[in-house]
Amino acid sequence: MEAEKGRAVTAGEREAWMDLAVNMAKEALESGEVPVGCLMVYNNEIIGKGKNEVNETKNATRHAEMVAIDQVMDWCRQNEKEPKEVFANTVLYVTVEPCIMCAAALRMMSILWRIIHFLTDTGEPFQCIAGYRSEEAVEMLKTFYRQENPNAPKSKVRRKECSK
Amino acid sequence: RKTVELNGASTWDVLPVLSERESQSVVLIPAFAAPILDKKEACRLVREVSAAYPLGDHPHLKRVRPCVSAESAHPLEMILCLASPRLEQDGSQSLAALFPDGQVDPRGLGEPFLTLVPAFPPLTRPQYEEASSHWPVSFHENKRISRALSGCLFTPSEKAAMQSHMELAVQAAREGARLNMEPVGAVVVDQASGRVLAAAHDCRKGFNPLLHAAMVCIDLVACSQGGGAYGYKDYPSCTFFQPDGDSGHSSSSGDGLPYICTGYDMYLTREPCVMCAMALVHSRIGRVFYGVPSAHGALGTNYHIHRCKDLNHRFEVFRGVLEDQCRSLAHISVPGESRKDSP
Ligand SMILES: [Zn+2]
Ligand SMILES: [Zn+2]
Repeated sequence: MEAEKGRAVTAGEREAWMDLAVNMAKEALESGEVPVGCLMVYNNEIIGKGKNEVNETKNATRHAEMVAIDQVMDWCRQNEKEPKEVFANTVLYVTVEPCIMCAAALRMMSILWRIIHFLTDTGEPFQCIAGYRSEEAVEMLKTFYRQENPNAPKSKVRRKECSK
Repeated sequence: RKTVELNGASTWDVLPVLSERESQSVVLIPAFAAPILDKKEACRLVREVSAAYPLGDHPHLKRVRPCVSAESAHPLEMILCLASPRLEQDGSQSLAALFPDGQVDPRGLGEPFLTLVPAFPPLTRPQYEEASSHWPVSFHENKRISRALSGCLFTPSEKAAMQSHMELAVQAAREGARLNMEPVGAVVVDQASGRVLAAAHDCRKGFNPLLHAAMVCIDLVACSQGGGAYGYKDYPSCTFFQPDGDSGHSSSSGDGLPYICTGYDMYLTREPCVMCAMALVHSRIGRVFYGVPSAHGALGTNYHIHRCKDLNHRFEVFRGVLEDQCRSLAHISVPGESRKDSP
């Protein structure tokens, strides 16, 4: 595997990153966003951290993965690194399966990913660890959808309640 | 198909981009049919055969058809049953083999033959016409789709508005190309008022490779609503306008305030990629109009994301607006670079 070459990643390190990602998802939940957290790890260093910022930015595409990609771009600028090389050797740790938009974005950036539970037929440069701490992430999503989205139009919220 | 001619400058058609099932050609499956030699037996035969082999999964298929050729010795033909691979393999076409338990009295029925019948109900008039040439089918016409396919869904004044919106997108694409960007443009318009809310060019060659034109435009709409993730100081052609000048757009989500791209149309000079198409789903876009298809497009060319039943939002898509001008954007030469067709 191209990423993380030169030094094996221990299970302990992996566990620590997943913990961090889960904590970020919790923070998102506390601030009324969809609880998704993700980390971008390059050479055993966290260079991007994202949580969902859809409500804050009023931009429905600001998912945790997109936010983290922006941070990696900033990191590359600050450290005068070539983004192409950095992304190709970056691993994404994310608490839930990326949506189609984020999956497409990750693919365009050639980012490897490790996901709690992810089923895919896209193949190629992606990597995932199925079932890794999935219960916790799914539970948080359920909590979120029990709450009301403060930015959603009132009529829609009402309709959702009726259909239950 | 009608063609618009505006300002005497350009001609283009606006065509619907339908789902995969709506745009595909007719799929045929084998069936056993037989001539009805005696018309007086027809009613009884239909009743008995229908009981033995119901067409419940294929309700669009008519059981009986008038004979194809006028000189035919028999007036009618009927479907006996769909040919399962096993029946076909056995070549067992005799009436005795098809009705082994004597459920059907074969009086008045001729020798069975294998034929091809449409597998699915037709969803569009062209599909209906193609399907009917194989075997009669029923068709519940969607008038809106038919009008869209014949190019008369929109009035001349609506088309004139589309043209002016796409002209803005083309102009933005040209401005972008001047900054060495991919020559793709996007414009968002409020469907109800016809007001332009944002115009953008592709920025993927700038500070973020994911800033395709549609992504920029979505973010500019967010800016117009008091949000937004990026600043566009270096790109003066990426602009937004406040939704409605008056009452200071507070961030409270009171009624009447815009919710992301609900009720908005996006004009794109070329078909969006998977990421952008899905971003439009997330943004609850109302309709999308694009000029030309793209090899990596995710609406009409691949995936048909706008009609995907598994997604929580669907929208209408049309292509062909100002097609020639949109196509010519691909030939703008950027100094020191060869352009390939990426989404
Ligand atoms: Zn996503
Ligand atoms: Zn795109």
